[in-house]
Amino acid sequence: MNQRQFSLSVLLAVILLFMVTAFFLPKPALDKTGMTLISRNQEIGKFELRDQHQQVFDPARLRGKWSLLFFGYTHCPDICPTAMATLKQVHARMGLNNRNTQYVFVSLDPERDTPAILEKYTGYFDPEFIGVSGGHGELGKLTKSLGVYYQRGASAGGSGGYAVDHSAAIFLIDPQARLHALFSAPQDAERMAQQLRSLENS
Amino acid sequence: MPRRILYLMLLAVLWPSAYADTMLHAHSAWVREAPPGASVLAAYLTIENQGDKTETLVGVSSSDFAGGEIHVTKIENGTASMTHLTGMTIPAHGRQVLAPGGTHLMLMRPRRTLHAGDNVNLRLRFKSGKTLSIPAAVMRTESAPDHQH
Repeated sequence: MNQRQFSLSVLLAVILLFMVTAFFLPKPALDKTGMTLISRNQEIGKFELRDQHQQVFDPARLRGKWSLLFFGYTHCPDICPTAMATLKQVHARMGLNNRNTQYVFVSLDPERDTPAILEKYTGYFDPEFIGVSGGHGELGKLTKSLGVYYQRGASAGGSGGYAVDHSAAIFLIDPQARLHALFSAPQDAERMAQQLRSLENS
Repeated sequence: MPRRILYLMLLAVLWPSAYADTMLHAHSAWVREAPPGASVLAAYLTIENQGDKTETLVGVSSSDFAGGEIHVTKIENGTASMTHLTGMTIPAHGRQVLAPGGTHLMLMRPRRTLHAGDNVNLRLRFKSGKTLSIPAAVMRTESAPDHQH
């Protein structure tokens, strides 16, 4: 094999490698961005929670705005702050759309997450974020109508106290207080903001 | 004569392996800055085991925290749960990368308020009796090394 033949075969090998790689790479245009559309016709059922300022948080607070809800607890050091930091980044990317969007952290651990703790927690991520919780009866009404699963003390152990198993998704409620979509974990702030802007502007 | 030189060179190459500590490394450690008053913080890092034997991380402690444990977050059918691990193995000639959404070190009851830019020291204990002491930078999620966005 002379030098020219060798160079040619190397070139062919490189081209072939590129073609194979391109074939197996995910196609961005077909990406569903981790969003599952639900577009329910029915409004979320009655529930009454309290926000970090001890004000009533019920279905009326969901009407007239798009709402992003994340369910968690403040003693959760990994997945909850990751989702909250994502919401903070979504908020930063939404610009003017934030006038008709609200961001809500729902604590599933009312025993430990008092309104004062929720105020510190949500305020740390963004002063505009809302933190709500309430008795398990009222929390159950909201979680059941959205299909959110949670269970206290089902996992963890060790000396870190109990953990709460909970849905990892971020739920999108439309301005008629109906479940519209959910974003599965791990969420991507940039893609979420794009999806939300196109939904809210349509 | 050349053979003797070869043996000497071989010895020089193999010599460091007599020190077990050089076979186990931890790096890229960071602690997630938490909201004020938080009682638990997560730490993430990479542990490399260049030795021929599996190593098992069994404990973590820090002078800035009253306690530390190894935890793993699992997401199954859309539900996240957290489990306490008594040990985490690092295979021979392998590595373990601890990143958000998976295995993490759970640091409990901070002795001082930690802000992004602060540093803490982490002490890792292994089943083999080895220990590693490494610095970890306190960071916000969005500026962390393994944050892809």
